[in-house]
Formats: sequence, structure tokens, C-alpha cells
Amino acid sequence: MAHAIEINALSKRFGDTLAVDDLSFSVDRGRVVGFLGPNGAGKTTTLRALLGLVRPSAGTATIDGRAYGALDDPAGTVGAVLDGGMLHPGRSGRNHLLALAPAARIPSARVDELLALVDLEAAADRRAGGYSLGMRQRLGLATALLGDPGVLVLDEPANGLDPQGIRWLRDLLRRLAGEGRAVLVSSHVLAEVSQTADDVVVISRGRSLVQEPLSELVASRGGGIRVAGPDVGRLAELLAGEGAGVHANDDGSIVVTGRGGEQIGRVIAAHGIVVSELAPTGGSLEEVFLELTGDEGVAS
Amino acid sequence: MIGVVAGELLKLRTTRTFYGIVLGTLALVLVISLLAGLLGDFERGDTPGRDLLSIAALAQTFTLVFGILAVSTEFRHGTITPSLLVVPSRARLVSAKLVAHLGAGLLIGLAAYALCALVVDLALGSRDIEPGFASGEPFEIIVGGAVAAGLFAALGVGLGALVRNQVGAIVGALAWTFVVESLLTAILGSGSVIGRLGLNGLGAALPGTNFGESTGDLLAPVPAGLVLGAYAAVLLVAGVLVLRRRDVSA
Repeated sequence: MAHAIEINALSKRFGDTLAVDDLSFSVDRGRVVGFLGPNGAGKTTTLRALLGLVRPSAGTATIDGRAYGALDDPAGTVGAVLDGGMLHPGRSGRNHLLALAPAARIPSARVDELLALVDLEAAADRRAGGYSLGMRQRLGLATALLGDPGVLVLDEPANGLDPQGIRWLRDLLRRLAGEGRAVLVSSHVLAEVSQTADDVVVISRGRSLVQEPLSELVASRGGGIRVAGPDVGRLAELLAGEGAGVHANDDGSIVVTGRGGEQIGRVIAAHGIVVSELAPTGGSLEEVFLELTGDEGVAS
Repeated sequence: MIGVVAGELLKLRTTRTFYGIVLGTLALVLVISLLAGLLGDFERGDTPGRDLLSIAALAQTFTLVFGILAVSTEFRHGTITPSLLVVPSRARLVSAKLVAHLGAGLLIGLAAYALCALVVDLALGSRDIEPGFASGEPFEIIVGGAVAAGLFAALGVGLGALVRNQVGAIVGALAWTFVVESLLTAILGSGSVIGRLGLNGLGAALPGTNFGESTGDLLAPVPAGLVLGAYAAVLLVAGVLVLRRRDVSA
């Protein structure tokens, strides 16, 4: 059976800019996949190509093996929240949904259901021009869920949400995946994804850097022991000489990978090194992300 | 397809723009035809009804702009994205907009001409002046005018799909009809190609009224409607082809 979402050797060129460069990944039902990359990495272009809004320069982007435009019931197959307004400021939230529903043969009762689900009933009859960013995002989510689709594509859905909103979104996404849906959620903020995603796809400059389960990513690249103190330079040399991974931080501390805390402690004791701090870094996804995406990640 | 059209009609009814256009058209028709009917310098024995009914032709300008807004507003506010997610086919979406706007444009034209006819009848009646219509003539003018208003809306839908920039499309369309075409007609004469087959000439030919000027050079209503419909069709097809190629990235 085809993957719920399959991006296959996708490239998209805008003039001189190669926004997406030979990108491939897939998303299966029941999984939340975090689509990560710094701003401008090509996430939005990839998602728009998947949704038939942007014409790929090369490669394919399919849903259940078919291009978006070839789906029999697009709204009932895929729901999407994309960045960038998408509301007529003079139209109320309820009317926004009601105007989209008939084209997808969705009864208007579903609109009331969704307004309740995204907690927007109180503001549903106000003009959308006055909505906060968070309200817009929730209306966008309601739009995505109109046809009760099995595949969800969300571009930066947490933008503008307050902490409660982000938590609510996280729970909603987990629940939707729990119901057997495939969820692809893009973000440039790792914290949003780290507690939600099963798998992550990290891209930078339009190219895929890694696709693997989040837990493996953290285990293989993220875990490390941070050591600080006056003699860490010497410790770094010793450990590196033994084949451990050593990364020097700007604040003078080092992060050691490939060695446990006790192993490092023995080296410290054997050489009489003075340290002020020795602690696991907790597999910070943030650091993995910055490491993977390099300078761009820091710049964004 | 019925659902897609229903959605488009709902989009129309749920912003103020539509009501602004309807009210603006009717208010202008009311004021101008009332003033002209009450204050016009008619002699007893004149038959000014036909000229006064041509006032309602201003509905064509409103429905042209109304049609342009159909697609361009969606791009301006980014609502094109959810619209295309529900209806991925550009041709289907534009067709639905065409049906909705053609219908609404017809009704706006019908209302404008009917209101104009009523006001003119009352105003002239109060001054004891005969409008001087032949039998069935007001009916022909009203129907022709309504069809013209509907076709101008259709033309606008095609133009709005073709030209990305909303303000550019509106300014360009108005500048063409009011300035370029009017100037060319003045220079080349009302019997010239531009006078007969230009938007102004066709807009006057459909109801058969030409605001105080001779209608002798104009096409008959049915050919005029066919030519205007052909213009709209060309713009609509071109608009769909352009939309198909266009990346919707905001």
C-alpha cells in the first residue's frame, strides 16, 4: 500500500533559487512526523507542492499514491493548515467554514461541531479581521478538519498560540494520530515537535538531512555529557585521544559523546583533573538541530 | 459542481463588498435618473424615455469590477489556498465563480434597469411628459441591459483570473473603458471597429440605448451579446490556463 504521504525526489526552483532540492521522505498513518528546518529551508514549498498549490520542477509529491489534484475527495482525504492569513477579514469565522463546506459536500452541522472542537464558538460570528493570530490558527485547524481527513498537513500550526494553545494543539495532534491519521507538522521551533512527533525529517536549504524516529535521533546524536571546569581542555584532549566525541562549547565547557558519566569520571580521577560540573545534557534536540542545520539554524 | 457554486454564492453573500456594489449601483441609478427625469430639459412632445434608461448602463461598470474581484480578492487575502484545497481544479473553481457572478451580475443589472424604468416613469409622469417608448421597448431595454451587466461580470471574472494584481486589473479595466476606448471612439468615430466592437459600444448595443447619441452605428443586441460573450470566454480560458501554471504560494 502506498504511503499516506510520499515526497519523492522533489525539487522546486523559483527563478534562480532552488527552494527544494531532491527531497524524499514519507509519512504513514498513525504517525506524527515533525518536519523541521530553519526558516527558508523549503518546508512551506514542499507542503504546498504536496497540496497541488505549487508545481514541482521535478519529482513527485503524492497522497495515498496520487497527486492532490487527482484525489476524488480532497477535503475528505487531506486537511491542511498553511501559513499566511488565508482569511477574508470581512467574513466571519463561521461563514469562512460554511463557504468551503458545500464544495466538499460537507453538511453545515459539521461546521458547528468544528467550531466547538477548536474552541472558537464565542468568536465564530465576528469578522475574522479582528481575530488574534491564535484564533486564526484555530480556525485554520477547523478548516483542515472539515472533511474529517485521514491525512493532516500542518505548516507551523503553533505560530501565535499561547502556551495553553500549544499544549492543546499537542494533545489534539496526538489524538488525531491515535485515531490512525497521518500527521505531518512543520516547525522551526523544536520544542513544539519534540513532545509530539514520532519521527522527524530535518531539512536545510531544501535538502533532507535526516529522517528517523525522534528517539533514535536523540539517542544517536543528542546524548552527551557536559563537563565544565578549569582543566577541561586537557580532558578533551585525553578523551579525544581515546576516540570519544568531544565538542567544545562557546562558554568553555565541553560535551562528550560516546562515553558514560562514570567512564569520564574515571579519566578525571586518573589524571587528577579539576572539574566544576559534570552532567548529562539530556539529549537536547535543540543541539542536534543546530548541529544538523549548521550556521543557518543559529542565524534563524 | 452545484456545491462549488453554492460555496461561491455563500462567499459573495458573506462580505460587505457585494452589498456595497449592489447598493452603490442602485443608489447612483436612483439619484441620477431621478434628477435627470425631474430636471431634464425636455419639451412637450419629446420622447426622452430611452435616453433616460441608458443611465442604468452604469451597472455594467459595477458588475465588471464585481467580476474582477471574484478571483483577485481570493489572492489578495490568501483565501485562494483553502479554496483550491477544497476544489483543486482551477477550471472548476473559475467556472463556479463564473456561474455565481454571471447570475449575480444579471440580477444587479435587472434591478438597476427596473429601478431606472420605475423612477423615469414616475418622474416624467409627474411632469406630464410622455416617455415615448414603442410597445415592448422598455422590456427589451431592461433584458438587454441585464444581460450586458451579467456578461460584464463574466468578463471581469476572466480578467481577474488572468491579472494577478487586483488594483492593476481594476484600474486597467476602468482606464481602458473610460479613457482609451472613449478617446479612440472619439477620434475614429462611433462607426469604427473600436466604436462598434469596443466594450462601450457593445454595452450600449445590448440594451439599445446610447445616452443621448445615435444608436445607428451599434450592433443589434443579439450579435452584441455574442461578441461580448466571446470576449468573456477568451479571457476566462486564458485566466484558467494562467491559473493552472501559477504557483499559489501565499
